[in-house]
Amino acid sequence: MAEYVFKIFRYDPEKDETGRVQEYRIDVQPGWTVLDALNYIKWFVDGTLSYRRACRHGICGSCGMTINGKNGLACETQIKDLGTTVITVEPLRGFPVIKDLIVDMEPLYDKLYAIKPYLITKTPPPTDKERLQSPEDRAKLDGKYECILCGCCTSSCPTYWADKNFLGPNALLKAARFLFDSRDEGYEERVSVIDDKHGVWRCHTIFNCVEACPKELNPTQAIVDLRKLILRGKL
Amino acid sequence: MREKRGSGGFYAWLFQRITGVVLVALLLLHFWVTHGLPRPEGVTYERIAPRLATPTWKVIDLVFLVCALYHGLNGVWMVVQDYIHSERWQGIIFLLLVTVGAILFFLGASTVIAFKAA
Repeated sequence: MAEYVFKIFRYDPEKDETGRVQEYRIDVQPGWTVLDALNYIKWFVDGTLSYRRACRHGICGSCGMTINGKNGLACETQIKDLGTTVITVEPLRGFPVIKDLIVDMEPLYDKLYAIKPYLITKTPPPTDKERLQSPEDRAKLDGKYECILCGCCTSSCPTYWADKNFLGPNALLKAARFLFDSRDEGYEERVSVIDDKHGVWRCHTIFNCVEACPKELNPTQAIVDLRKLILRGKL
Repeated sequence: MREKRGSGGFYAWLFQRITGVVLVALLLLHFWVTHGLPRPEGVTYERIAPRLATPTWKVIDLVFLVCALYHGLNGVWMVVQDYIHSERWQGIIFLLLVTVGAILFFLGASTVIAFKAA
């Protein structure tokens, strides 16, 4: 066991005018993730600490937060890998803070709904089987479908910080997931949303989203692929 | 989404890329022809002026001027769109950038077109 200092962003809308940092000194056991430490603090030190968590296995995307300045999932971040005994935990940047480490994800979902994140079909489905997809067409979705909607990418994007109307890497990656799906027939509906000064053309290729994604996806590549798709459609 | 979508960005992006590629090519040509790189030569009036006075180089320099102005001012416009959200201020700055571009184009073009190697 070793003593670690956790500097955690605290904000209670009923008491605080602005956010503050509260320090917790706790003994960390080998193998603990940042989420384990937050659980320990909440259960044994300070029950008023608020944060989201659910699956503890990097699947639900609930515990996205900024840990020592870098976005990631608290449940996947091993404390020993941070290489320091002073750990700063903040809510995801770029989103309004509701309380402590909990942010309002509504802006992220608004952008997601805008790109119509579901399969759009116009032809009737086959009556005797499902809509089939070749293994080659299915492989085109690798790196696009695995997103867990944690918001780490959009929250790390300086372009999104500056332009809150920017669709952001999350929604654009999801748009690519459907636009490159061989079964999808929603090209016009989706492209009319992303072909916009606040859509694919707003991205300045900063690559923060690539660094932030806990699932090691590449939203920047997806945005470049979308640009090529739109370019080919116009020429 | 509350805000209006489908209001452009494609051509600004496309021409930023095209002018970027043209600028790199013209800059390499400039360093090769004017400065004699990779083996530097003296940049003297006698060596440079006759070439600048030829119609071919006047066209090349005008293309250089247009691409540099578009690329630079469009870059500023992108930064403005990122950080200034008031439509009124965006409109004012857009007009300002177009005016600056027109003045600089006039100054540059009149210099290039009228140049004689006397």
